[in-house]
Amino acid sequence: MTASIGRLTTPASIFNRLHAWLTDLAPPLACMPLEFQQLVLWLIPAAPLAAAVVISLLGPKLLRERSHWPCWLALAVSTACALVLLTNIMPQSFEGGDSATGVVAVGYPWISIGEMQVRIDLRADAMSTLMLSMVTSVSLLVSVFSAGYMHGDRGYARFFAAFSLFVFSMAMLVLSGNYMQLFIFWELVGLCSYLLIGFWFQKPSAAAAAKKAFVVNRIGDMGLILGIFLIWTTFGSLDFASVLFSPETLSQAATAHPGRITTICFLLLAGAMGKSAQFPLHVWLPDAMEGPTPVSALIHAATMVTAGVYLVARSTPLFALAPDAQLFVTGIGAATALLAALIALTQMDLKRVLAYSTVSQLGFMFMALGVGAAGAELATAGATAGMFHLFTHGFFKALLFLAAGSVMHAMGDVIDMRHFSGLRRSLPITHWTFLCGAAALAGVPLLAGFWSKDEILAVLHEAGRHERVGGFFTAIYWIAAATAFLTAFYAFRAYFMTFWGPQRFPPEAGHHPHDAPPAMAWPLRLLAVAALFVGLAAAATHWFARYLAHTPGMAHEGEHAFHIDLMVASGVIAVAGIALAWFMYVRRPGLAASLSQAGRRLYDLSYRKFYFDELFLAALVLPLRAFAWLCYMADVHVIDRLVDAAGAAPRVASRLPRLLHTGLVSNYALMMWAGVLAYLGFLLGLIG
Amino acid sequence: MISLLFLLLLVPLAAGGLLLLFAGASQARSARWIALAGSIAVLAMSLSLGGQYRQLSLSFDRGRADAAAASPIRPQVEYRKPWLTLGGAAEQPVILEFHFGLDGVSVAMIVLTALLTVACVLISWESIRERESEFYAALLILETGLIGVFCAFDALLFYVFFEFTLIPLFFLIAIWGGPQRRYAAVKFFLYTLAGSLVTLLGLVTLVGSAAAGGLESPCSLPQLAAWYRDNPLSPSWQMVVFLALAAGFLIKVPVFPFHTWLPLAHVEAPTAGSVLLAGVLLKLGTYGFLRLCLPMLPAACLSVGVPMAAVLGVVGIVYGSLCALVQRDVKKLVAYSSVAHLGFCMLGLFALNSEGVTGGVLQMINHGLSTGALFLIVGMFYERYHTRLVDDLGGLANRLPLMAAGMVFVSMASVGLPGLNGFPGEMLSLAGMFKRHPLYAAAGASGLILGAWYLLTMLQYVFFGPLKEPVHGASAHSHPVRDISLRELGSLVPIAVAILWIGLTPQPLIDMIRPDVEAITQLYARGPDGGESVAQVSPDRTFATEPRP
Repeated sequence: MTASIGRLTTPASIFNRLHAWLTDLAPPLACMPLEFQQLVLWLIPAAPLAAAVVISLLGPKLLRERSHWPCWLALAVSTACALVLLTNIMPQSFEGGDSATGVVAVGYPWISIGEMQVRIDLRADAMSTLMLSMVTSVSLLVSVFSAGYMHGDRGYARFFAAFSLFVFSMAMLVLSGNYMQLFIFWELVGLCSYLLIGFWFQKPSAAAAAKKAFVVNRIGDMGLILGIFLIWTTFGSLDFASVLFSPETLSQAATAHPGRITTICFLLLAGAMGKSAQFPLHVWLPDAMEGPTPVSALIHAATMVTAGVYLVARSTPLFALAPDAQLFVTGIGAATALLAALIALTQMDLKRVLAYSTVSQLGFMFMALGVGAAGAELATAGATAGMFHLFTHGFFKALLFLAAGSVMHAMGDVIDMRHFSGLRRSLPITHWTFLCGAAALAGVPLLAGFWSKDEILAVLHEAGRHERVGGFFTAIYWIAAATAFLTAFYAFRAYFMTFWGPQRFPPEAGHHPHDAPPAMAWPLRLLAVAALFVGLAAAATHWFARYLAHTPGMAHEGEHAFHIDLMVASGVIAVAGIALAWFMYVRRPGLAASLSQAGRRLYDLSYRKFYFDELFLAALVLPLRAFAWLCYMADVHVIDRLVDAAGAAPRVASRLPRLLHTGLVSNYALMMWAGVLAYLGFLLGLIG
Repeated sequence: MISLLFLLLLVPLAAGGLLLLFAGASQARSARWIALAGSIAVLAMSLSLGGQYRQLSLSFDRGRADAAAASPIRPQVEYRKPWLTLGGAAEQPVILEFHFGLDGVSVAMIVLTALLTVACVLISWESIRERESEFYAALLILETGLIGVFCAFDALLFYVFFEFTLIPLFFLIAIWGGPQRRYAAVKFFLYTLAGSLVTLLGLVTLVGSAAAGGLESPCSLPQLAAWYRDNPLSPSWQMVVFLALAAGFLIKVPVFPFHTWLPLAHVEAPTAGSVLLAGVLLKLGTYGFLRLCLPMLPAACLSVGVPMAAVLGVVGIVYGSLCALVQRDVKKLVAYSSVAHLGFCMLGLFALNSEGVTGGVLQMINHGLSTGALFLIVGMFYERYHTRLVDDLGGLANRLPLMAAGMVFVSMASVGLPGLNGFPGEMLSLAGMFKRHPLYAAAGASGLILGAWYLLTMLQYVFFGPLKEPVHGASAHSHPVRDISLRELGSLVPIAVAILWIGLTPQPLIDMIRPDVEAITQLYARGPDGGESVAQVSPDRTFATEPRP
């Protein structure tokens, strides 16, 4: 081969050979995007990746305080591309009728050996597009906020490098066209969370929280990778197109291996529970607020935790065939939602309240994802409701965390609500935007959270009519309603405790706390607008549901109806929760304290987070460590001793013969005589 | 190409010999420059060899892989030279020959060896202060031995090189090691030697019975493999020979419970010794399984090998990880992590399908890179602080940010983070085993959690948190402790590049080893030959669909 090319040394031939050589070693280089569609699709992840590389190479020495620019620029490009995809490219592909394939930008073969064929491609369909538009736009706003919030930090460049990498990983996860690619970026998301939660690594608590997040996530990931292997051996492929989007294959597999699909779903679910912080793997999420507040906003709203919900929603066709797994999804979701809401009631740390509210809202999404157990036709409706709540939640939870960050910024990094109050006059922007976010979270009618929560309640109500599992879903419905009430209460408890009451500042805040500077204020305002109107725009017109219905594998629904009675009920619940919070924290400020004294036990249970961390420590971590210690002791004192014993065997065995070799001539003479005598005796015996 | 291969064998040997001439001379500081030049020359040659081999294999691949008659071992480049002819005119002569060759696996391992040797020379630059020429001579002679093992396609040569590697490493540990170096070196030497002697018995049986059957050059591994494919030993004999061969390899890998020499040897060895020991020497065990057991004893691999490797591999993963978790000495932690990682390798090799064996080979390479790099970094901060104990150190990231970044990077590779090199190997090994026995793979997958746990715990206490430096280290040097130097970067960066490259696009590497792997796994896919049912191996193909073009 080389001979035919010859030894030409023109620059062009050198370049060609270099290029050929490079593409040979690194296949990704071979696929430069050509068409507009592909370019748009590629830019969504490529821009943040480029930013991450640029910042990590140039940041510490060259960019320094300007390190946010590549990140901003890249996320702006990603957001723009995601919006083009949302409004232009995807609708065209719907009309083209080729929605089963989606829009694909060809990548490169990552691994191909035997039956393991994994490509890294970019594949977008309706669901991933909706998800991407939320992820990129929220990330962009959070990154703008971060530039103000992180100003002057030692690791400024490191922050934005990891931030960009985070968005890249999330975009690639959502754009995956097969399970293995999804897993790859699923893990990278985990890495980024590790880097960002542990951003202030000097703090032991941050270092511990980062490790906890990674390891707890890995527990779920173990299930996920086994689920992926089982999909691989069952379907012979990992592509969504061959696993999820062809009903014949699915039904064949279901009949050929009864129970197999249920196993797959449970394994996938394990992964989803880890990433999306479902009970009992939720323990990492509240600790994750050890990272800088914008990171919490990113993790809780846009990236990380949404991945689990996305995985389950994406695998709807599989879950639709596994009613048992779906019942479990809903059950886990309900348990998580309720427990987390109960914990959030008593937390004194503003960010911790928000963290548990995230866990609780994710529980809501899981509740919705499981309603397919009450009839396969509900599976799509459930997934739609779950994805919609994910979508709206992304905006208002990012808003709430950023507003909390703004409070923290003004209060000199104090976040304990007992140390400040009445901030509404000194921090007006923060106050109004937080109010918007809290109202959206509480489900005040017509705001973002109201619509999506209402849809979840509606599908649960619908599932309650099923003859076999109806009772179960009715119970879940009531749990959901109760949780919605608790949500409204704790959201406004935090709001009233922070912004109402007498004006108090902690000493760390100085005399005149400053409200958010422009870089922080504008993201807050924009997110507040989104929290107010995104639900109205997307739900009142059924735009979201109609758009999502183009996702392959999500069978088209018949009717999009409003349930006025349910809407009124959930509106009443929200208002009642807010009113109770107002009564307890504004009208009768002493009431909360006396109530907590009265129900000391219950209060402690909630305040101590149902002792989950302690339980994990006592039931899992400590026994494992003890067992590990035991293993090591056995290693040193048993196994190694056996080896030494085997090694010593020749020496021991030599002891006996050594007794004979005394070195004394008289002994040898004695032995010689003994030998001669024995021989003579033997001879005599022969003769005799 | 073959001349390049001989140069590869000769250059380090010659450089080593040159260094020995200098031994004891006063201008011994120049020894390291000679060693560096020699090892870089070897690296350059090995890379060129790799490049040429890739070109060759692209054109070779089709023609050879389809040849059904070809042996399960197919070096694509060969050098054969008859050496001794035994047996008179009456009986059929038995020819002993030099048989060197290259296939994808050996090329990959040779490049790995060359890469790690350069890193070893650089990392020893300052830390080795006494008898330098002898040190570097031992290092380079060890390199020759290792390259020799990987290119020997002759049972005799293979065994000679296999054993020969023990000698330079023995000296490396016994002369330049830590306080317990004598004990560690003797234990390492005797333990592995004892195992290898049993292996020799197995090897002699294999060669002898083929010779008795009429094979003309029974020492040549390709011929031997072809012979045993057509005339397999009886299953019970296969089992005996397998166990004999395995005795040495299991100790070398090392597989639980034959691993106890390893932590000791690692802790006592100088950094360079640890890097080569973990990076390449341990792979001789798995390489032996791949070269001798898998192609020649299929029935025994299926009946004994799979359960043995799966159980011991899983136990090794869990046990090694747990032992690593409680270590206070970072170097010992890395040593135990090797036991866990090679457990994955065993799971992969004995999955006996293309995915698994490929994964096992990748894991051999990847573990060499990531564990080698881990030992390098451990050596770096040991050089600065003279302690490796977790309790003495803390928050090093404050003082040594670049080193901390490197450590996080390498740890992530070791944890098996996708995008870095560890993942493709671990994933394919587990996938292969999942196809054969899902439960073993499920048990092995727990290594994903445990691996993250012990490595991140180490990172948490040694590199994160508030800065804690031992007083001793700070006072020993008058100047403050410096972050990673250019020389140290030089040893790490090439490895880091390889880590990233394999992680991002493992396919070129897989393509290189694929023909060799498939030549072996064909034995197991074909069915009755190995005495097993096809159904057991193949997955449910019922719904297999064509991969997307």
